[in-house]
Amino acid sequence: MRILIFRMSAACFALGVLILSVTVCTEVRAQTPAVDPAATQILQKMTDYLGSIKQFSVHTQNTLEDVLDSGHRVDFDISASVIVSRPNRLLAERRGDLIDQDFYYDGESLTLYNPADKVYATEPAPDTIEGVLDFARESLGIVVPAADLIYRNAFSLLMQDVIFAAVVGKAVIEGVKCDHLLFSRPGVDFQIWVAEAGQPLPFKYVVTDTTTPKLISITTVMSDWNIAPSADDARFSFEPPLGVKQINFMPLETSSGSNP
Amino acid sequence: MKTTIKISVITISLVLMLLADIPFLTNQLVPDAEAILGVRRRAWRRGVIVGSTMGAATEAAAMSHQQAAPQQPAPTQQQVAPAAPAAPPPAATGQPLPLGTVVSALPAGCTSTPVGGVEYYYCGGNFYRAVFQGNKLVYVTAKPE
Repeated sequence: MRILIFRMSAACFALGVLILSVTVCTEVRAQTPAVDPAATQILQKMTDYLGSIKQFSVHTQNTLEDVLDSGHRVDFDISASVIVSRPNRLLAERRGDLIDQDFYYDGESLTLYNPADKVYATEPAPDTIEGVLDFARESLGIVVPAADLIYRNAFSLLMQDVIFAAVVGKAVIEGVKCDHLLFSRPGVDFQIWVAEAGQPLPFKYVVTDTTTPKLISITTVMSDWNIAPSADDARFSFEPPLGVKQINFMPLETSSGSNP
Repeated sequence: MKTTIKISVITISLVLMLLADIPFLTNQLVPDAEAILGVRRRAWRRGVIVGSTMGAATEAAAMSHQQAAPQQPAPTQQQVAPAAPAAPPPAATGQPLPLGTVVSALPAGCTSTPVGGVEYYYCGGNFYRAVFQGNKLVYVTAKPE
């Protein structure tokens, strides 16, 4: 009987320790999330500024990390030029092995053009840049480079579900001294480097997928910012060169894709 | 007698669960414990510590996560696909593929024919048509009309 009581209390004690450790674990987790207002202020200064300029052009160097089935780590590089003319014109030219493609938006339709394959597809589009970015992603599955930063309401979109924000420190990117910011939301960590003085422009942007142990990132380094580019409206309309054939977009299946 | 057995079973299982909490034992125990004792949720909470060992266990889950992954990482998956050799369609057999079959590259030896203003590629008993699937150029089996 005594042994029985001893065993029972031992079991109860073990159970107690177990519950306690789980509780402590969750509490520590619940307390760590901290959003440093200094970081969000810099982010907002940047997004407000970018949203306020009517026209800008920027060159981006994008690196997509991947892990091959063989387990080796490889990078794929894409170089892109983006011209934005608010409220309803956008041109993005991407060059690389992985993707060699132009994205045109002239306020009425969007066009995807693969110069090397000599094919293009056109689709009627919403009448704002914000609308066309949503439409392209949700209905056609098209991703536009640095789209997250082009949205006029970029701040609220970026801050959605953010549970951690911090100023990591300073860094010099493309010769410009920047504030280095880190943000985290479930499934995604992102870092932004914003010019410390002068125009608060972003110079680097890293998005990391935290849903897998591989922690794969997409890195975008921005250079050649121009807030007064000479781009007339005709530049944003696609005129198919001779010998280029029109094809269609494959509609996204409703089951996949529409996930933001 | 019965109670003794019951109590010892409870005690043993509790000890097992406790063992699963010891970090250096997680390597051996977590995968089993997960299946047998259903401690998966606890293991998740300690994700940071056992992150690496959880890797294998969550790989499958992670894969499905990636399907519905946030917009940013998606292009990595999507655009890298052509780099890996895509499964070649059984062109040589002459077996027609179901309409709407998507391939990332045309089989060898296709001849192109314009039909009603649309370019079709014919090979292995199939007609293909180029389309954009997201940012990616793919070929879909189709019936020329």
